[in-house]
Amino acid sequence: MDYLASTGVLIGIYVILATSYNLIIGYGGLNTIAHPIFFALGAYAAALLAIGTGLPAVLCIAAGVGVAAAASAALAVTTLRISGDYLLIASLGFQLGLLQLVNNLDFTGGPAGLSNIPMTLGGPGRGWWYLLMTVAIAVLVIWLVHRAMAGPFGRAVRAMRDDEVACAALGRGLFTMKVVIFAFGCGAAGLAGGLYAYYFQYISPEQFNVAQSATILTMVVLGGLGTVWGPVIGAFVLVALPQAITFLQLPSSLVGPLQGLIFTTLVIVFLFLRPHGLVGTRMAGAEH
Amino acid sequence: MIDPVILLQILWTGIAMSSYFVLFTVAFALTLKVEKLWNFAQAGLMGIAFYTMFWTLNAGHWPVWAGIAAAVVVTCAVTVGVEVWAVDVLRRRHSSGLIFFIFTLIFSQFVSFLLTLLFGTEPETIFPSVMSPVRIIAGIAVTDWDLQAVGLTLGLLIALYLLIRFTRDGQFMVAVADNEKLAGIYGISAMRAYLLSGVIAALLIVAGIWLYGTRAGVTPDVPIGLILTAVIATLIGGLGRVFSAALAAVGLALLQSFSILFIASKWQTLLLYCVLFVALLVFPRGIPVWRRRVRTPPVPAPPVAAQAGG
Repeated sequence: MDYLASTGVLIGIYVILATSYNLIIGYGGLNTIAHPIFFALGAYAAALLAIGTGLPAVLCIAAGVGVAAAASAALAVTTLRISGDYLLIASLGFQLGLLQLVNNLDFTGGPAGLSNIPMTLGGPGRGWWYLLMTVAIAVLVIWLVHRAMAGPFGRAVRAMRDDEVACAALGRGLFTMKVVIFAFGCGAAGLAGGLYAYYFQYISPEQFNVAQSATILTMVVLGGLGTVWGPVIGAFVLVALPQAITFLQLPSSLVGPLQGLIFTTLVIVFLFLRPHGLVGTRMAGAEH
Repeated sequence: MIDPVILLQILWTGIAMSSYFVLFTVAFALTLKVEKLWNFAQAGLMGIAFYTMFWTLNAGHWPVWAGIAAAVVVTCAVTVGVEVWAVDVLRRRHSSGLIFFIFTLIFSQFVSFLLTLLFGTEPETIFPSVMSPVRIIAGIAVTDWDLQAVGLTLGLLIALYLLIRFTRDGQFMVAVADNEKLAGIYGISAMRAYLLSGVIAALLIVAGIWLYGTRAGVTPDVPIGLILTAVIATLIGGLGRVFSAALAAVGLALLQSFSILFIASKWQTLLLYCVLFVALLVFPRGIPVWRRRVRTPPVPAPPVAAQAGG
């Protein structure tokens, strides 16, 4: 039963990540793939504060959100003057560079990571309480994104995605809008990172690498770019289905690669059979 | 004061080490130029080429030439398969760059997981030993591997240049890269050009991974790191400039080699990403000194349009 709770928590965390990433890439049209580094920054900031100061979990996670949002603003200010493929590659460089930094610094635990993160919500029902909390936060993030995108600001963001020149001609501050959605989306990724660090009590740089970028991007695109429920369904399908193999009692050396194979096969199949996403519609400027 | 012999040694080793970076970069840049495709699937092709050679030579005990031939056949076949049954399908659907990016990256991951399942995660080399005979020339240690690497890379680059410059297929490839629709009007098949660039890239990849795998251990996830270096060199060289990208790859390898004089080796990779990040921000179209200078005739001023109603 604990395994089911853990899988549920993981799905909840990926729903937060995919939903917040959808805000940036789906609604905002900003082709960046650096989302996992903000997930990592949130996780590392929360974990380091928890280990070093013993502050309450809420404060540590809030600090993680702040660090992720601040770092995203730094990336946005420097890179948002380029776009398209260049932004994609610049964000990849930013992610891998910061990850290399985390990998080489001593206080982050280096390649071995941090394993002594204090436990919160102890006791036999820990997994289920944590699941409840993660689901509540995921619902809150979905609601916030939905509310923001359903209003005038959301219409302006979508207009910016569809035609930047026309949007600017209407007097909209494109740069401010980009920085705001970037900071909000990445802050939410930092929140997911804090939850991840406290629940699994172990983080290492390899959990936030290029494969993670591909995973989150795939959840959003296969779920449906610029839709409310697309990333939620994408996260659920792509986390839950590969987990099914753990019930086959295979040797641990086989489980990881097999899960990876199932994941990548699902992605390739959906990419060709459902090119507009599981709940997606054809969007201007983001043809599949 | 650093001994000049040490500097020369670093320079030579850096040039030799850059050989496989150059081959991977040219493969990546060529596909990007002709197909307009950021083909991260080439990481998967590297894995396929390496493990084909590894398996045929170590488990199958095939002769070396047969192992290399098998890698060429398998890698080219996979390239053509991916081009025909995947990339072309996405192209006909007018898929966005994001979809191509996801597909190529996921394909590489698929191959990586498959190879992990088949061969495990232990680093493997093509031959049991990576040692190579050494000779001292003017105080510099030169290994047989160095000579083989530099010779093979130069030979392949010259062959590619001649193919592009003097053969009809090479010229058709450039025509498709410049303007696919216009090339089509003149009866040039874009698909043929795409397949040719893919096969050439596959051959370069086999050569590159041969050099890498005879010098260092390879695990299924090593190719992703190698392709990222190729991406960085391609961007610094400037999109569409294949041989400039090769020069950029040499420059990056030398930068990494000489950086050991100033920083610990563990920071070398970070240096690479810093170069990428700064280069993209400052020179988003590539380093200016490598840009081709084209004389453009002076453009006459546009006629003054009559104002509406005036």
